Amino acid sequence: MDLAFTPEELAFRDEIRTWVKDNLPADIAHKVHNAMRLTRDDMQRWAKILGKKGWLGWGWPTQFGGPGWGAVQKHLFEEECALAGAPRVVPFGPVMVAPVIMAFGNAEQQKRFLPGIASGEVWWSQGYSEPGAGSDLASLKTRAERVGDKYIVNGQKTWTTLGQYGEWIFCLVRTSNEGKPQTGISFLLIDMKSPGITVRPIKLLDGECEVNEVWFDNVEVPAENLVGEENKGWNYAKHLLAHERTNIADVNRAKRELERLKRIAKTEGVYDDLRFRDEIAKLEVDIVALEMLVLRVLSAEKSGKNSLDIAGLLKIRGSEIQQRYAELMMQAAGPFSLPSIFEAMDAGWQGNFPGGVLANAPLAGNYFNMRKTTIYGGSNEVQRNIVAQTVLG
Amino acid sequence: MDFDFSDEQEQLRDAVRKWVDKAYDFERRRAIVAAGGFDRAAYGEMAELGLTGLFVSEAHGGMGMGPNEAMVTLEELGRGIVLEPLAQTLIASATLQTHAPTALQAAWLSRMAEGTALVVLAHQERGARYQLQRCTTQATQSGGQWTLTGNKSLVAAGDQADAFIVPAMVNGSGGQASPEMGLFLVERNASGVRTQAYGTQDGSRAAEVAMNAAPGQLITLNGLSALEEAVDIGMACACAEAVGVMDKTLAITVEYMNTRKQFGVNIASFQALRHRVADMKMQLELGRSMSYYATLKLHAPAPERRRALARAKYQLGTSMRFIGQQAVQLHGGIAVTDEYIVSHYFKKLTQLDMTFGDTLHQLGEVSARMQDTAGVFA
Repeated sequence: MDLAFTPEELAFRDEIRTWVKDNLPADIAHKVHNAMRLTRDDMQRWAKILGKKGWLGWGWPTQFGGPGWGAVQKHLFEEECALAGAPRVVPFGPVMVAPVIMAFGNAEQQKRFLPGIASGEVWWSQGYSEPGAGSDLASLKTRAERVGDKYIVNGQKTWTTLGQYGEWIFCLVRTSNEGKPQTGISFLLIDMKSPGITVRPIKLLDGECEVNEVWFDNVEVPAENLVGEENKGWNYAKHLLAHERTNIADVNRAKRELERLKRIAKTEGVYDDLRFRDEIAKLEVDIVALEMLVLRVLSAEKSGKNSLDIAGLLKIRGSEIQQRYAELMMQAAGPFSLPSIFEAMDAGWQGNFPGGVLANAPLAGNYFNMRKTTIYGGSNEVQRNIVAQTVLG
Repeated sequence: MDFDFSDEQEQLRDAVRKWVDKAYDFERRRAIVAAGGFDRAAYGEMAELGLTGLFVSEAHGGMGMGPNEAMVTLEELGRGIVLEPLAQTLIASATLQTHAPTALQAAWLSRMAEGTALVVLAHQERGARYQLQRCTTQATQSGGQWTLTGNKSLVAAGDQADAFIVPAMVNGSGGQASPEMGLFLVERNASGVRTQAYGTQDGSRAAEVAMNAAPGQLITLNGLSALEEAVDIGMACACAEAVGVMDKTLAITVEYMNTRKQFGVNIASFQALRHRVADMKMQLELGRSMSYYATLKLHAPAPERRRALARAKYQLGTSMRFIGQQAVQLHGGIAVTDEYIVSHYFKKLTQLDMTFGDTLHQLGEVSARMQDTAGVFA
């Protein structure tokens, strides 16, 4: 039992810290620290900087050009990036599809797709959810029919995060109606420039277009873009979930946002109001406890001695905490979180009004936006079913 | 960063668990409660396992172990809701070993290790709540001999203990800040000491202790920081014990849900109940994580240690309240009977929350000690 990181781990952390400090563009960090709107260019600029260093695929093994880091090193890298104000890496390429291509794709697919993901050149999207397939994902209906050396894809995906920027999309598609719903699903890589694809951004309650609907109308996909075997896609998607590990908890970002909450509370004059301060204190304990839980998982991964099957707990707790800090930030600003000024989230906005600056205008929007966290990635109620299964059988 | 237990720690866990399972079953516990809530024989059995000397150096006949081993031990005692207050022995032996003059150590530590002397912390007073600096007991020195006058409350096994560790103000300025507090050892059989004992809600035993010019031996004049250390050890012990109690409470509940039938099926099949169990598992694992944190921070510098222990005890208090209440609800009526075991776990969880500072007090401590940054390492 030991809480401290090893000297080697601490040296590694210092190396990362120095590199991030030297390479993270200040304008991007400023936006992240103040929760301003990030453009496509902001996100891709950082991705390419990481890509050039070989760290965009920071979880990748060396055989595919990754750094080959262990669980603790990956965590420290993520923590340093988050605390320094780096944007979250858009996960669909390097974190989600790449591990599937590595594990189940053929050599040709690996050669073709992995370099573009590792460098940050190619923007990937995820095509899982459908209007009729949310928590019950296996009921998805988007069809891929094999005709000669092609698949013809018809159907609709939805909630496609940042799909308006997507160049490629990995999809779960139905290739068979035989047997259980899970057994007729395949994993298909689709060029989003293909004729027949329509992407329509969905305006969300905060006024932002973060997600999209994606329609497939007789889209022709070369059969060589099938990953692994036909009708085995569900297994590959489950493999991907196993890769989500601890970053699903997002505890590093929570630590950064707790600092921001305290800054806002001080500015707004509620930090010394004990009723409000106690709410921050509760959140602080929640975040420390979540961090300890994450560290326990990392320790178990490192030693391989005890397996800790608590991904469901990390998702539930992490998402609740995200919602809580967003809610407290809004409450700290009180009525000054209410002005709905779209430009207020852009860097450089001069919000000077006769009564002063309206700098906290985006905080209600952020609160509204964060309601998604307990819904996406397997709703928290589905997660509770999974946790209960491990406890009760 | 490593949360695996060593082989020696696993062996210690096995030994304690075996003793609890074989020698401290529910029937024996019930008999001890009926007889007053403290059993010298059971305490002696813990001593034979070496537990009473866990913190005592080998030079004084103990095992010379540390907080990690204490945590392992208390988790297991918690699983069996053992009544005899081993945590008190750990607190007292650590305090004497760190702060007492060598003569005082020599007089007590080896007897504490072998289980023939029980020394407990007597620090609580009426009206002090959990504020350690609030102390009205007075100590005066005359001709090289200290005498203490004042009342202490809720002293664990107070009429069974052989001696008390007592904080007292040394210059007549009660209620003032740190430099004036001393820590003393007062023997129960000393002149001017009177105890009046009672059972507590968890089935164990406590006493009011009155001292009227009772002779005491000085442990340290740096009393408040020594008392804070002692209480922090107590908090870490309470956290570890809580993990054991919660772990067993959940296990009992799960077993019950998989056998109890209503509407023709096991009640474990109902989603409304399953989600409560998922939330109990959450509170258990958050609590376990923060118990590790508490124990691993015991050697940190005082401000960091105090902040960490407050965070931990707040989490454990929250977890205990939730798990205790849910366990009762999921069992239904059987859980509010004295006959069924889970009511005793519920009462233990409730009492542990109020031991060394309840959630509301700890929240105030966390709130007062907040800094700009926060995390496991800050």
